[in-house]
Amino acid sequence: MVDYLYDETFEGLLTCIYHHYYTEKASGIFPKDAYQSTMLGGCMEIETEEHKAVTVYEAIEKKISSWDLKRIYKVFMSSTEQKECKILNYVRLGFVKGPGIRLLHGDPIVFPVQEAEQKVNAEVHRMKGLIRFSELEEGILYSPIEPDHDIVEFLARHFSDRFKNEPFIIHDAKRNKALVAYHGSWYISHFTKENLSSHSKEEAEYRRLWKSYFENMAIKERINPRCQKNMMPVRYWKNLTEFQL
Amino acid sequence: MDLMFDKLKILADSAKYDVSCSSSGVGRKNNGIIGSGAKEGICHTWSADGRCISLLKVLFTNKCVYDCEYCVNRRSADSPRASFEPEELARLTIEFYRRNYIEGLFLSSAVEVSPDHTAERILYCLRILRREYGFAGYIHAKIIPGVSQELLHDIGLEADRLSVNIEMPTSKSLELFAPQKKPKQIFSPMRQITNTLIERKSLQGPGTMFKGQDLNSPLNYLTPDQTLSIGAGQLRENQNKSAAGEKTALVRARKKEVFAPAGQTTQMIIGAGEETDRQILTTTENLYHTFKMKRVYYSAYIPVVSSPLLPGPFTVPPLGREHRLYQADWLLRFYGFSAGELLDDDNPNLDPELDPKITWALRHLDHFPVEVNKAPMDLLLRIPGVGVLSAQRILRQRKARSVRYEDLKRMGVVLKRAKHFLTCSGKYYGETNFAPDSIRNQILEINDGVQISMFGGDGSGLLTAGVERKKVEHHG
Repeated sequence: MVDYLYDETFEGLLTCIYHHYYTEKASGIFPKDAYQSTMLGGCMEIETEEHKAVTVYEAIEKKISSWDLKRIYKVFMSSTEQKECKILNYVRLGFVKGPGIRLLHGDPIVFPVQEAEQKVNAEVHRMKGLIRFSELEEGILYSPIEPDHDIVEFLARHFSDRFKNEPFIIHDAKRNKALVAYHGSWYISHFTKENLSSHSKEEAEYRRLWKSYFENMAIKERINPRCQKNMMPVRYWKNLTEFQL
Repeated sequence: MDLMFDKLKILADSAKYDVSCSSSGVGRKNNGIIGSGAKEGICHTWSADGRCISLLKVLFTNKCVYDCEYCVNRRSADSPRASFEPEELARLTIEFYRRNYIEGLFLSSAVEVSPDHTAERILYCLRILRREYGFAGYIHAKIIPGVSQELLHDIGLEADRLSVNIEMPTSKSLELFAPQKKPKQIFSPMRQITNTLIERKSLQGPGTMFKGQDLNSPLNYLTPDQTLSIGAGQLRENQNKSAAGEKTALVRARKKEVFAPAGQTTQMIIGAGEETDRQILTTTENLYHTFKMKRVYYSAYIPVVSSPLLPGPFTVPPLGREHRLYQADWLLRFYGFSAGELLDDDNPNLDPELDPKITWALRHLDHFPVEVNKAPMDLLLRIPGVGVLSAQRILRQRKARSVRYEDLKRMGVVLKRAKHFLTCSGKYYGETNFAPDSIRNQILEINDGVQISMFGGDGSGLLTAGVERKKVEHHG
């Protein structure tokens, strides 16, 4: 039994799972930069190898299901604690149970994965509403976000369809990456705020209208900040136009 | 722009008392230039009262010829008035939508000049949005009673959802508070919408109420003489009456046209008149059964205008009651309950302390405990603390392995309520006597402090306002 250390790529994680089956059983999988030795058992740094990753990828798809493969990928993109170990356990159980693994909602191995996936799905859904674009001088729509989980690519399909004739950038300021899209196609790239042009002339006016509309909608006899914060946690407010100016 | 600023302020201010803001019910890819519909609906922000803002909810105009007692915009009220120009409202919608502030437009209006005059302006605005801007996002249009059939039809072709406000839960209250609105005038557009949806085979009922039934059979056409008795029962026997005559009168639609794909809704004010919860729920159920509405919304009465007929200006809005009614409404639409089961002559009002499902379960302990490893879906749904999702999970896991008690929590079952009403492989986990009073006491103690905080952080506990929290004596 050995702790595997990987380079925090999905391929790296799959390579570790490969080694679990063909080299030595894993006691856990951890990111190599954040690893703290436990004194028990040893650790082994794993070099990411494409063909090993592909083998595991295809095995999951074939022996479990492509639905579960997607689920695993979403959990990988989440920020939950020890997600690598949760995924390892899930894959191991999945190879035994096959596609039926998703039925075991109450299972202690399935539950943490289902829970992490739900958190990602919930944040993706929430972000579809909470993204606020600002119009830049060139007519490009730009939105900074700071999501808990690494979700920009899960937003691509929704926004690139909805705004298929608008060039837009969704910038994950926490992770310095962005979704860049125009005419229905998109890519993810490294991105920082430098050299970003300023807002268009009309932008300030629409912000003012929106902010006033937002404040106006609250019925004063029903004021309930606690409910508001429950539905929309304060950590998201920073990037919302209605709370700025 | 400053003019726009004031207009938006006035016209949003008058529209905010409209309840519905949902953008759900239609899944549509971007078939225009900008916009799409998300089947599940998307909330974009939450205002300080905790209500979600999904649509740009405005009145087209607040200049009104009607004089309804409860309404901010009634003719006799002294308040600032404004109207949008169709072009400027369309532009504003698009600019808000581009910035992802909103999911679409909710357009209501006061009655300026006449219902038809107002409807024409609304239609014009929607057409600019759809045709000139290629807007494929969500549109909810409010239909004003008294509008002509042709205009209603044309608005339905542009909008995703239509709604006609029933305003009051009983015809008696309606007569008292909105003397210019007649029940017949309100039901006729509702009927037209339902019939058009049936004709286009696109009628979908509320929630899972009509699961597995074909609502789009010509037999379901509603006839004009089929008046809805609001506030009392007995409509269900009518609903299957055939109306072949009317069907032929309806013009066959072009294939590509879509009429109100997200169906219709309505709303009523709670706490202005003297109705009981039973009357309200019965009306709600009748609306679902007759018109197959997607939703019925409740709006706790807020004293925005003073009138000798209405509760005084310092009345606290009955938010707790509204909340319980919504819970009961969910039980009707998704849990297979009927209004008659939830409330009866002895219990005309919902219990402010406990949710309607527990209250029902405590009155029917002979149905419990339910064995989670054997019970079918409809029985699982009757267990307090088990929702649709957790019931589905129980059913799914049962295909692979039996459900253990410790699994239930991970499936989303709220055990502090559910444990009193279920067994897991034959074992009962409730800790008290299996009697209504002792279960009630236990649930209430756990609930203390938790349920109160649902309304307002000041601890005033609107939910239980005025209710002395008494421990029921144990007669075990």
